[in-house]
Amino acid sequence: MLALEVKNLRKSYGDFQALKGVDLEVEDGEIFAILGPNGAGKTTLLRILAEGLGYDEGEVNVFGEPLSKKSARHIGYVPQESISYDLLTVKENLGFYADLYDAPREEVDNLISKFDLPPSSKAKELSGGLKRRLNLAISLLYDPKVLILDEPSTGLDVPSRKQLWEDIIKFRESGKTILIATHYMEEAELLSDRLTIMDSGRIIRTGKIEALKSLLGDRTVIHVSGILRGVDNLRKMFPRLIERRDSIRVHSDVDNTLSIVVEHLISSGSRIREIRVEEPTLEDVFLELTGKKLN
Amino acid sequence: MKARAIKGIVVKDLKEISREKVALFWVFVFPLMWVTLFGSIWGGGGEPITIDLGVVYSDEDTEFTAQDVVEIMENISIENAPIFNTKRFDNETAGVKSIKKGTINALVVFPNDFGKSVVTGKQAKIYLYFDKSDPQEYQIVSGVVKGFFAEFEKEMKKKRMEIQLQYAGLYISEDVMKMYNISLEDIKSYMVAGSEPLVIEEKEVEGTKVSPIKFYITSFIGIQFLFATMLIIGVGILEEIEKGTLKRVVASPATSWDFLIGKIASTFIIVMFSILVGLTYSRIVFGETLVPSLAGWLIILIASVFSMSLGIIIAMATRSIRSTTALVNLLSMPLLFLAGVVIPEAILPSWAKPIVNYFPLGRALKDLRLLELYHKPFVEIVGGVIYILAVTVVMLLASVVLYNRVVKTLE
Repeated sequence: MLALEVKNLRKSYGDFQALKGVDLEVEDGEIFAILGPNGAGKTTLLRILAEGLGYDEGEVNVFGEPLSKKSARHIGYVPQESISYDLLTVKENLGFYADLYDAPREEVDNLISKFDLPPSSKAKELSGGLKRRLNLAISLLYDPKVLILDEPSTGLDVPSRKQLWEDIIKFRESGKTILIATHYMEEAELLSDRLTIMDSGRIIRTGKIEALKSLLGDRTVIHVSGILRGVDNLRKMFPRLIERRDSIRVHSDVDNTLSIVVEHLISSGSRIREIRVEEPTLEDVFLELTGKKLN
Repeated sequence: MKARAIKGIVVKDLKEISREKVALFWVFVFPLMWVTLFGSIWGGGGEPITIDLGVVYSDEDTEFTAQDVVEIMENISIENAPIFNTKRFDNETAGVKSIKKGTINALVVFPNDFGKSVVTGKQAKIYLYFDKSDPQEYQIVSGVVKGFFAEFEKEMKKKRMEIQLQYAGLYISEDVMKMYNISLEDIKSYMVAGSEPLVIEEKEVEGTKVSPIKFYITSFIGIQFLFATMLIIGVGILEEIEKGTLKRVVASPATSWDFLIGKIASTFIIVMFSILVGLTYSRIVFGETLVPSLAGWLIILIASVFSMSLGIIIAMATRSIRSTTALVNLLSMPLLFLAGVVIPEAILPSWAKPIVNYFPLGRALKDLRLLELYHKPFVEIVGGVIYILAVTVVMLLASVVLYNRVVKTLE
């Protein structure tokens, strides 16, 4: 059964088209990721699904019912920004949202215990990780079937991020459908059963991770790091080269790619520290499909 | 309508505001400052004034002298407050100089032969000096000083008449009385009437003058509606928009009406609490306060809803906390004076009087004062109350429409 179904969804802000006819199907019980750079239209799509943001054209169904205040009750939304009130304590924040959503009062204490939250601390005193957990707890107050998370690990330190990922996996195990929007390929790759690549308000490709990676065929990727010179000339030969601060990634399109790259870099005066031949990642898939870097 | 959601919003708002120091200032400290200020300046109104009076006279050895007049002046008082505070000067020049400096309000100069003239039954002269540069002060000071001498002169006439009457039988012959068919008593009575044609008898009446403290308590209530009420609700909604929490409220099962009723209820509770604190404070500090009747509370309720609706409209139109604060102050500051909030309608210029009557907060205060301070029956102000209620309903509906429009455009 489809938990979420989006058909030809269009949304504009003035002259800017944020969504240009998005189609999406999320199966009940799966973790589905939307991978795309900032400005791809991910947040707009999630806000239409979870916050009732109006749209210009298209159709949205939740478990087969058209999206409405009633059907939206199946959806719990964890936005990027904190939705707690700074001057209220954790318990008071949860209590307020419990009243707003007419959720059982005992869920407040259950969720405080489940997420190990300090009940008497004011929201403004919480760390970024705890604030995100409070957001999660709020969205689970009325036990929604679908949980939508917008950039859940942005701004979190490594331990908080790992804790959050564990929580998300547990939600799936408890039967919830999870929809995550992220621009971190590691997050999408680790958590999702299926994902869609989104760019400039369009869905580029949807599928399982392995299926998406298979779009690159047997291609490998050459990773070179060090003090690199002559990268601009190299890009003329390999347009899909990804440049980072002290490394490059080059798609190995032909058999002698490695020797061409190394020879060019050395002759340009580069001091190579490391060369690796890797399997393609989602970032490489994204580059292949959109011609753009993900981050 | 979802009662639990409304209750949640009310409780949340009350907790937030009780922990917000800036809000506490606007809700409690600011209005109490006004009550203290007004109470201190005008609270003791009605006390008699004392005039600083310079006197110039010479020492005489007659039976009655200028010094006796000055002593009488020093001993007259109203409600134990002396009317004159006299200061003797050596000469006229020094006294006039003192008036110019403003150290005395008026100067009385008794010529050297004042006592002798009085005792010998001749006309005595007195010279009065006043500073006319402030017409209002001149009006008061000259009125009191001349009033004293008019009374004093009347007493002198009476004394002289009594002396003349003692001897009337000796110098009016019986033949004259027979010729004109008039008795000695008639002649005496004509002589008294000639010296004092009018007899004025003063009687004390318990007036209905409004206590200044009570007047300024209603001003304090008006100030709450002009500033705190509009700002609490307007800024409160804008903060929810800026923090992104309003999107969550909108996405929840609670409706726009649930949210706005919750906001209005919490703001009303805060403002009512603040008003009660002000009323209690006035009772403790100034010894009197206003205890509104049920009809009075009804007017306060309607006025507060009007004020909240206006606050929502301003906030939704500006969509900015800073602009809302600026606009509320820009609107409220002149209305504080022109809508009869702190200045009684009676002394407002004629062009400002329609503001009192047609701006609903001004009208509400006017009706509240008529009801509670002048004890007019409710039926006399019911027209005004219906007018305020009608405008308030229109404003409330407009605020809901604007709020819904803003919510739809939340990006």
